[in-house]
Amino acid sequence: MVDEGKKLISRRDFLRIAGLSASSIAAGNLPSTSHTPLMSKMSPLSKQAAGKVRPWWVREVDQPTVEIDWDQVRRFDARNTVRGLGFAKYAGQAELDRLNKLDAEIEKKRILEGIPGYTLQDYALNDAQASIARGKRYFLGPQEAQTPEERGVPKWTGSPAEAARVLRASMRHFGAATIGFVQLDENTRKLIYSHDPDGKKIVFEEVDEAYETSAKRVIPNKAKWVIVYTVQMSTETMKRAPTILAEQTTKLSYGRGLEVQFKTQEFIRALGYQCLGEASSNALGISPALAVMAGLGELSRQNRVITPEFGPMVRIFKMITDLPVEPDKPIDAGIMEFCRQCKKCAEACPASALSLDDEPSWETTGGWNNPGHKAYFEDSIKCRTYMKSEAGSNCGICFAVCPFAKKEKAWLHQWVKAGVSTFPVFDGVIRSMDDAFSYGAQKNPEEWWYLDLPEFGIDTEQTTNDG
Amino acid sequence: MDDRENIDNEEHITIKLTRRPWYQWILWGLWLFLEVVFFQAAVASGKEFEPRAALVFWLLFGVLLLGGIIIWVIRRQRLL
Repeated sequence: MVDEGKKLISRRDFLRIAGLSASSIAAGNLPSTSHTPLMSKMSPLSKQAAGKVRPWWVREVDQPTVEIDWDQVRRFDARNTVRGLGFAKYAGQAELDRLNKLDAEIEKKRILEGIPGYTLQDYALNDAQASIARGKRYFLGPQEAQTPEERGVPKWTGSPAEAARVLRASMRHFGAATIGFVQLDENTRKLIYSHDPDGKKIVFEEVDEAYETSAKRVIPNKAKWVIVYTVQMSTETMKRAPTILAEQTTKLSYGRGLEVQFKTQEFIRALGYQCLGEASSNALGISPALAVMAGLGELSRQNRVITPEFGPMVRIFKMITDLPVEPDKPIDAGIMEFCRQCKKCAEACPASALSLDDEPSWETTGGWNNPGHKAYFEDSIKCRTYMKSEAGSNCGICFAVCPFAKKEKAWLHQWVKAGVSTFPVFDGVIRSMDDAFSYGAQKNPEEWWYLDLPEFGIDTEQTTNDG
Repeated sequence: MDDRENIDNEEHITIKLTRRPWYQWILWGLWLFLEVVFFQAAVASGKEFEPRAALVFWLLFGVLLLGGIIIWVIRRQRLL
């Protein structure tokens, strides 16, 4: 019984006082060195975390496995690619209109007939992914995060190696699969587009801050580092190519890539630096070239990048920053050498758009290729024409059949990749084995809807297991 | 009295110890290694949704297992 003269304490107040007391005691028990910077207490292992951990058979090299004649390389106008309206430049507007009409007819016919991979539910899934993938992108970023100046604190400082580590850790957390950095010099600057796909010029100027006008996007000369990152595509989904179902994993990756871009732009802004992103999809610079220079993969027979971790099952994105980061070196994992023998993608290409030549060439196939490197140049017109007139979707067969497009649950896949890197004499045998195990065969699109796949249809532990 | 005289002949067990040459140990080790690899690949291929690969690996595992058992039995018979 409580005496009337005493002050009553409610249960809520009691709990609040008790809670405060407990936390005060806990705080009092903290060691006096609790303000010591965390880095000094970290174990060597945790210092390595989020660093660039590659399998032993991925060798860093000074020159990429694709030969480059930098004198021949020019800054490329993104409007010269065959994506979107660029197709009309080469094939004519009438042909583009005809193919678009045909594409629309195929779509309706396949939905009505319920063709697996082209049913209404497949198209609905694709449209859903497009809602984010086609979202607005910003060269300068969303610019909503508080800068250190606005917070009244100095901006973040650290060595280029620390900056690289911090960026890798954060970007992996945002959804990037692998991250690499390229320092812009007189050569690598040529890998930045002269014009973006929307026609705006990209220029470097001696200014302190990046800006954008109706005619140009301006990159300060001091912004000398390109952040290149990959986002995984779902191998299991892409193995259903060419279908709308398979196409949607591309859109999913573009959406996720956009999310990583926004968050990284905001992260770097909040550290006190600038980060310039792609103003539209596939803008700013040549993705495969930058990815090769950043050591994310090697150029392949597809004239696209194949990564050691995911094969071709990635989309590549890039940003430019004035935060000094430690650049990466190109790699040699025996991929380009394997492509010389394999030819599986070129043989499987229904449009015969990929090169079957034994050796790469300096001769480009068309204006959509950038000269100055020795590659297996593709015929993009044939590729796009097939997509619109027959596939009725993005194709992706070359990605699906690639022997490097493996999930890595079986130990053997890693060992084979290590073998490809170290004993190229067995490349032909490995290609034959890949056929025998039927790895490149198209999978049933209908079956996809019954699978129990992980988030985004990808294995997010694949890179961390590689170490 | 000697204990051995009390033991009935039927209670005797003869154990033959045969010293295998070193290369046989290596071959059996290789056999076991391949069995483990094929088994892991078969199970993993199932998880990778690769039914044809899983089937091939299960076949390799089964044939190798059967071969090993047959060789083991034949060699045992010879010893007996």
